[in-house]
Amino acid sequence: MDEPRDDIDAWLEERVTPLLPRPDAFERVRKRARRRKLGRAAMAAAAAAVVVAGAIAVPRLILNGPIGGTPTVALGSTTPAQHSSTGPGRPQATGTPRRDHTAAAPTPPAAPPVPPNFAVSSVTFVSAATGWVLGQAGTPGQCGPPNPDICTSVAATGSAGATWHGVPAPVTGPPDGGAGVSQIRSLDGASGWAFGPQLYVTHDGGRSWTKIPTHGMRVTDLETVNGLAFAVWARCTGAGADFAATCTSFSLYSSAANGNSWSPVPGMTGLTTSPVPGQPGQPSAAQLVLTGTRGYLLAPDGNVYSGPVTAGAAWQPAVASGSPPPGCGTPGPAQPDGVPSNTMLAATGPGLVELCLTHSPGRKFLAYSADDGRTWTPAGYAPGAGQATSLSGSPAGQVLVATSSGIDVSRTAAGLAPYGLSWHTSVQGASVPGGFSYVGMTTAQQGVAIPADTSLHAVWFTYDGGRRWVESPVR
Amino acid sequence: MGTFRASDRLAAEELFHACYPRLAGWIRRLVDDDDTAHEIASEAFTRLLARWSSLDNPQSYLYMIATNLIRDHWRKVGRERRALRAVSATVPAEAVHHPAEDVDVRALIQGLPDRLRQPFLLHYYAGFPIRDVAEMLGRPEGTVKADLHHARAKLRAVLGEAHG
Repeated sequence: MDEPRDDIDAWLEERVTPLLPRPDAFERVRKRARRRKLGRAAMAAAAAAVVVAGAIAVPRLILNGPIGGTPTVALGSTTPAQHSSTGPGRPQATGTPRRDHTAAAPTPPAAPPVPPNFAVSSVTFVSAATGWVLGQAGTPGQCGPPNPDICTSVAATGSAGATWHGVPAPVTGPPDGGAGVSQIRSLDGASGWAFGPQLYVTHDGGRSWTKIPTHGMRVTDLETVNGLAFAVWARCTGAGADFAATCTSFSLYSSAANGNSWSPVPGMTGLTTSPVPGQPGQPSAAQLVLTGTRGYLLAPDGNVYSGPVTAGAAWQPAVASGSPPPGCGTPGPAQPDGVPSNTMLAATGPGLVELCLTHSPGRKFLAYSADDGRTWTPAGYAPGAGQATSLSGSPAGQVLVATSSGIDVSRTAAGLAPYGLSWHTSVQGASVPGGFSYVGMTTAQQGVAIPADTSLHAVWFTYDGGRRWVESPVR
Repeated sequence: MGTFRASDRLAAEELFHACYPRLAGWIRRLVDDDDTAHEIASEAFTRLLARWSSLDNPQSYLYMIATNLIRDHWRKVGRERRALRAVSATVPAEAVHHPAEDVDVRALIQGLPDRLRQPFLLHYYAGFPIRDVAEMLGRPEGTVKADLHHARAKLRAVLGEAHG
């Protein structure tokens, strides 16, 4: 609309000054919404009762919660799955499948213990309290059956890390070229995925795991939201633990969270660093970020693709294919966990943030985008100490960087700090030698981090937005 | 019914923290009052969460609700003002002074007909592209463009009269 500028233009272009929610605003809103929902259901039920004046079959409530998770209430009769697979390195879960014919909760069986020497490589939380970790545990050579060298293990907490217990794991080893798993994600405590590079799925809280065929491709990243799982499938040749090294072609696949049928996301296949479609280009990495409404993929050529997190929806590049990407540039080769080493992407508050490690040599430059990666504005530099390993954002707009010397947390929110973020460094390297390999926020206040030194057999938690971190031994 | 799955709750909480500050800030510009802005933003989120599982595009729904709540608020304030004027008809009318610098434009937008105001707010304030606004309002893109053009022309004309 080419119209003369006037007072209206001036007013419209004024920046909206965000108004932060009051304390506990979300909880109040959630409870009010729940009351209304229940009220509507009660009214609907009352109306139905008037119409149906016959005998009423009262549905039975079956409590069949995920292991360690909050029990979910389902209507109808369901038989919980048998333990079809038990992760090596830990005792068989002692609980027997149960069927409850009353609405009362049964006494839960004793949770199996965490296998010894748990070296955490990945963590996922589905709520503030419930989360899983995946790693290698036990003593190599004594992990059996079926293979004494397989020690892949899963542990869960239902108390935000206060206590942990063992959960059956996929029967596969640590990453070794195209085999094994190193990462874990869960949607709701029932459906979960172990990946990197192979892909396994559970729909029963980890009681059983099914291997998903990936046709020679390696799954280097996976995220889940809104009843869907999205995963990056790549063609790679890396050997040993470097399963995500030398990947040259990337595709984004999705599946219903309660299903095992994976299909490519329209517009998101064969992504490479090469400007010529179909050409493999240089080895690179890709990183997937999901929010409640939208998904983003940092593609191997540095472009950010995005689309709605709905089944079958196409994703689009931020800039036309072949144009120079407007952000930090190419993500560079993958770290051992599949995360890019040169450029990292995270969602924070209402926007995206990129950590650029090749923009200014030796410095950690940050850029912020409020328009799905089309344009980026400088957001200053993260503290210089240590080598960056992981980037994360909080729902409140903070930025967190895990490094080989600690965790750096921004005091200010990205997008609201025109002169760059101010920072607070938590967990100095002296207390956690080697720093951290991963940091992520579950809520605006609660987050979790994995130490680079897996022999510490622990993860770290924050409950105050990243200011203080406390150790939670996984045992 | 009545249960909110952990994944839903996380997604809703994430959306809340991501969208609330901007939504509430946007509302504040239109109602010029922090408390009312919080009240409307909270109500919009409450209605959103109460229908969460059936929504494809929660953010659009959120802004649509907020737009309607703002309209209701303006109507209520208008009624109260009229009632106040009626009660104090014998008292010499005092010029209404509004502390906000942008009160003129806000007052003018309040005066736009619903048909023009909705796309105007959603496009220019909430920042939704024309394509999304068209989808939200169930109108063709061309109609939305024309509505925006008419809204601006109307505002410009009234603003010109006021300043002339």
